[in-house]
Amino acid sequence: MENLIREIGVPLGRFFGRTTATGAIALLFAIILGVAFVASQGNMSTFSITILSGLLRAALLFLVAAGLSLIFGLMDILNFAQGAYFMIGAYLAYDFQHPANGVIRIGEAIPDPNLRFLVGVILAVVVGGILGVILERGLLRPLYERPLFQLVLTFGVSIIMLEFIKLIWGTTPYAWTVPITIQTTQFEIFGQGFSAYRLFIIVMGIALMIGVALLLRNTRIGITIRAGVEDAEMVTALGINVRAVFTLVFTLGCALASFGGAVAAPFLGATPSLGATYLLASIAVIVLGGLGSYEGTAIGSIIVGLAWATMEQFSLFSNIGTVWSSITPMLMLALVLLARPNGLFGEER
Amino acid sequence: MKFLREHWFFLLVFVGLLLLPYLIGWLTGSNPLGVIRGDRYIMRGESTYWQSVMIEVFALSVLVMSYNLMFGFTGVVSFGHALFFGLGGYITGIMVQFSGLDPLLAFVLAVGLTVVLCTVIGLVIGLATLRLKGVYFAIFTLALAEMVWIYFGRLPLTNGEDGLTMSNLPAIIDPSQNRLILYYLAFAMFVFTFLFIRRLVNSPTGAVFKAIRENEERAQAIGYHTLRFKLFAIVVASTMAGGAGIIHAVLAKSARPEFLGVGYTVDSLLMTIIGGVGTFTGPIIGAGGLHLADVLLRNAQFTIGTTTINIGESWTFLLGVVFVVVVLIFPFGVVGTYQRWRANRKR
Repeated sequence: MENLIREIGVPLGRFFGRTTATGAIALLFAIILGVAFVASQGNMSTFSITILSGLLRAALLFLVAAGLSLIFGLMDILNFAQGAYFMIGAYLAYDFQHPANGVIRIGEAIPDPNLRFLVGVILAVVVGGILGVILERGLLRPLYERPLFQLVLTFGVSIIMLEFIKLIWGTTPYAWTVPITIQTTQFEIFGQGFSAYRLFIIVMGIALMIGVALLLRNTRIGITIRAGVEDAEMVTALGINVRAVFTLVFTLGCALASFGGAVAAPFLGATPSLGATYLLASIAVIVLGGLGSYEGTAIGSIIVGLAWATMEQFSLFSNIGTVWSSITPMLMLALVLLARPNGLFGEER
Repeated sequence: MKFLREHWFFLLVFVGLLLLPYLIGWLTGSNPLGVIRGDRYIMRGESTYWQSVMIEVFALSVLVMSYNLMFGFTGVVSFGHALFFGLGGYITGIMVQFSGLDPLLAFVLAVGLTVVLCTVIGLVIGLATLRLKGVYFAIFTLALAEMVWIYFGRLPLTNGEDGLTMSNLPAIIDPSQNRLILYYLAFAMFVFTFLFIRRLVNSPTGAVFKAIRENEERAQAIGYHTLRFKLFAIVVASTMAGGAGIIHAVLAKSARPEFLGVGYTVDSLLMTIIGGVGTFTGPIIGAGGLHLADVLLRNAQFTIGTTTINIGESWTFLLGVVFVVVVLIFPFGVVGTYQRWRANRKR
């Protein structure tokens, strides 16, 4: 018996212990696609819709996780309020689009729903950015000496934002009822309709992934950010104002999350549970990808997004209940961390 | 005599809390046992009402003291402490309602099971994450608590969102029959937890806890196996939180998903910080003060100009604001600030 365990266990442990990031990613994708294929019972149209909704999830996750990951890498702060920014974006876009049952009622000035949505998204981005500056400059800056309290503070801010939203908009979920033109346009894939708006979000998400990567790789500010992730003190010693870079990245991260919420509102609606759901999934993404690694965040969001949609399809097909699909991100995280304790692209910490 | 002189304040509070049900009963002319109706007591009157308020204060104090042991003395941040709090309640509920055993035996078994399960879960989370950066522990506790919260919110066995009502509680701790006994049980646990944490933190082990809080790498360099000490603190704190959860759920006579929710984690963080991080009496003052404020202000309304603000509705929001303000400008809390002020005056 002992021999048997040794014969199976040692090579298995060696395999998992020594898998390269590429190998682990390929394995994960193979598993997810396989399960998705089984769950759609070999039906190509269901399969492709599952994959597309997985990519849609991935795009939204990336919008929250990118800021979370860059902020953590640069400043060593895990911003627990990032999910609340996503939620604020969703509520602002909803309210702007529906002046009739909204609270702020400033959307009335623009009668055309398409233009109104565009302005609503811009508004959400601006408000998210402003709130980001306030949080970093006003609240986190005095606490750089006490990192434990920074962690606790962002948690407190997320509670305030959630309760503020509940006070203003109430706890009832809102569904999007004034559609934009691109949302009602459908295109067909294997005989199944898929909204053009969702495809647009997927394309935009992938474009942003590549865009931010290029920005980090090629521009001066991107190089500064990467250097800051490596060693912020050293960058300061070279005469660069790292604090200003901190503020910039923090603001961009919050604005990006708020943008994500705004563009997600047409199909997710605006609900108080949005923040916690996307925050937890994004935390799973960045830890799974390796804390502070940009590639890890990009690939992690695709993996978690696909797995999430696959599990949803699987729970429909096998009747195991929706509980499992809602905890998929955490299950994926546990799975990856068992094989690679520092995440896919993480270095020894 | 020396003992009396040094500890007169604690002894006074101890005796005061011990006699509190009778004191309130005497002052308001109500029976601490309730109102006699036939051969049993009905829980009416001022004394029994304040007993239930104080039982809640004791349960919350134990929860917050356990949180302070991790956060204040060892420097480990958890965002899922409510997991253990709610788990204690759910284990009790499930054992009492579904085990089919004698209620008292089921309850005692539930207490044992809570201790075992909280220890195991605390150990597993700690072992999986404490070798890495501190933020991993915060993430994992948050994630696990949310997962268990979602799970119990949808579990048909415990009535999902509505929660599990405990109708089978053993008569001697049932708050609607013998609330006074539950009061003294909660009080005993409160006193025991306080003395235990004091003893633990003042012991050599406690000195290592504080060393880890101040600088973990240095504690390691001196030769301490810091992981073991952190694990120990987490296991003790989890078990205490489970115990507090049992008292809380027995008082509510139900186990509901919100006991596992982020609300109780926020409460423990907030009460620790307001009372004073890393002090012995701070958590008690934080828990007692905030809970009494909640009870007294629940139905209060303020009218400023034409807008009426209902304190009960915006309570969590106000707590959040207080939380951020305290973290920013009042980081030592009530007790910590008082100690600093006294130390300055002596000098």
